[in-house]
Amino acid sequence: MSRLAFSKPSKLKRVGSILPALFIAAIYMLLPTFGLRGFWLDVLTRVNIFLLITLSLDLYSGTTFYLNLGVPFTVGCAAYSLALLNRYLGVPVEYAILPSAAISLVLSLVIFLPSLRVRGAYFSIMSLLLPIVMAGIVTSQPFSLYLGGEGGITYSPLFFSYARGLPVKERAFFLQSTYFYISSIAAIIAFIVSYKVAYSDFGFMMRSVGQDELLAEASGVNTVRVKLVGFLISSSLASFAGSIYAAMRPPVTVDVFIPANTLVPPLTAVILGGMGTIVGPTIANYFILLVYEALWDVIGRWRVVLYMCLLIVLVLLRPQGIVYYLYTKLKRLVSSKIAELTAGV
Amino acid sequence: MEELKYILIFGSFHSLTYLVFSLGFSLVFGVARLPNLTYGALYVLTGYSTYVFLNYLNTPLYLAVPVSILLTAAISLAIGESVIKPAIKFPVSVFITTVAVAYIFEELFSIQMGLKPVTLPLYPGTTSILGIPVSNHWLLITAVCLAMTLALLAFLYKTSTGKAIRAVAESWEESMRLGINPLRVLRATFLISGVYAALTGILLAPLKALTPTAGWSPLFAAFAIVVMGGIGNILGTVVASLVYGFIEQSMVYVLGGGIARVAPLILILLILVFRPHGLFGRGE
Repeated sequence: MSRLAFSKPSKLKRVGSILPALFIAAIYMLLPTFGLRGFWLDVLTRVNIFLLITLSLDLYSGTTFYLNLGVPFTVGCAAYSLALLNRYLGVPVEYAILPSAAISLVLSLVIFLPSLRVRGAYFSIMSLLLPIVMAGIVTSQPFSLYLGGEGGITYSPLFFSYARGLPVKERAFFLQSTYFYISSIAAIIAFIVSYKVAYSDFGFMMRSVGQDELLAEASGVNTVRVKLVGFLISSSLASFAGSIYAAMRPPVTVDVFIPANTLVPPLTAVILGGMGTIVGPTIANYFILLVYEALWDVIGRWRVVLYMCLLIVLVLLRPQGIVYYLYTKLKRLVSSKIAELTAGV
Repeated sequence: MEELKYILIFGSFHSLTYLVFSLGFSLVFGVARLPNLTYGALYVLTGYSTYVFLNYLNTPLYLAVPVSILLTAAISLAIGESVIKPAIKFPVSVFITTVAVAYIFEELFSIQMGLKPVTLPLYPGTTSILGIPVSNHWLLITAVCLAMTLALLAFLYKTSTGKAIRAVAESWEESMRLGINPLRVLRATFLISGVYAALTGILLAPLKALTPTAGWSPLFAAFAIVVMGGIGNILGTVVASLVYGFIEQSMVYVLGGGIARVAPLILILLILVFRPHGLFGRGE
């Protein structure tokens, strides 16, 4: 497949276009040194990790239009395998992150593989079914004895053994800021990876599957392979999100499988941001999740209802999203202003 | 031996309820070509609304039941008209909107009714079948379900609306050429499927406690059955619901209720691996 007919911008221009992003990322990473502490630093850490889930959803469902409602399954399996590795094999959390993400990835692949082979509603139904089945399994009799039941599984979080050696006063801040840095780096890497994939040749193959699968197949795209590899990349993001999140915040409970926690905000972010655009959902992710956190004190559980209503309205009235549209407008405005200014010089 | 009898009796009872529930589901699935993911929520909604009518508004049972059924049918129609029909050309949009509606209902139920299971009054008395005591409620369910199945068959094969539904399920374009308005047919299926979800909800609520998330497993069961039997294939649906009911009940009696939750998952996986076009499917 040939490259799309985009002319490649010059190297200088490309560096210029990522400078603002680098600047924002640097400021963002320095937030703890500027004095951000406590609850909102925790929230930002969580939002960073949720970016991985949002991007996972956007990268696969936003391009191929196969709605993956099973993100909580992948996230939850990673979280539970981390906890189980720690409890039954005694693997420290620090070393369990990679293996648990791998376990969850393999599990998701094995279960979703049959539904990736065929077209139609199977994939979405399977993905909707899995988290609900898992939530039932985790809390019901023979399994709940080993999986902790409603109370979940507790263990000592990431770097806790190191933090214990620190003075009492510094402990909490050390853990908080370390988690924030780790999650920010993970978010940045996830963004770069998804952006590269979504706008690569492979990304356009995924989009072709989303537009018309039969036509894509007739044009020589191996649709099953594209769906499989795309699912693999996107699920690895979700698995990592689950492992990192679980490593930072014990205990792991059935909550990870509940869509209101791990599906509703990312899905809303993807739709609000603009499906398949990566940049839009990334911006929307920070906005949507911060508002979601803040809404807890205002309307409690009604926030899920509110977000779902927003989702329905968006899907029906503006399925292409809002944030990406605004972003491109702003970008065009800024670049035309710059062009005006430089033309005068 | 005792267990075998239990499986035989309760397997057939469950199969019959699954049959009626999946018939309503397959109507919309057949015509719209998309699963209506709010179907499980409608099932729960009827149970809760009947409960509210009986316990908070002190409505007598003979009034509460028809009113809740009508209410559910109306809500089913409203959901279909507002979130399914406008997006019918974009499957991914329908998935998102219907799942969103289902989650909205789930949250509303758990906010308003709490997570504690509620039940409806049971039809009193027991009868002995093959030496096993069976609640008379199951016999009531059997009678109603058989009547519902026959009524649907008569409707689909004898009335003009029923014939139109079958025509649209066969081919959307072809039926338009014959002067059938598929969108009006779709409206009829929303209404009828609402009634079927409502009736099974009311009939099963006394036996299976009602919780906000109780609608999901019947929804998946219905999906598995409809896909296994072939969309729009009544005979296939009958066979598939028998298979499903017996498999599920055997799992309950042999392995325990906890593991039985994975029955629909296993079944869908098996269908996907071995017969993606259903037991009686003709392929694409």
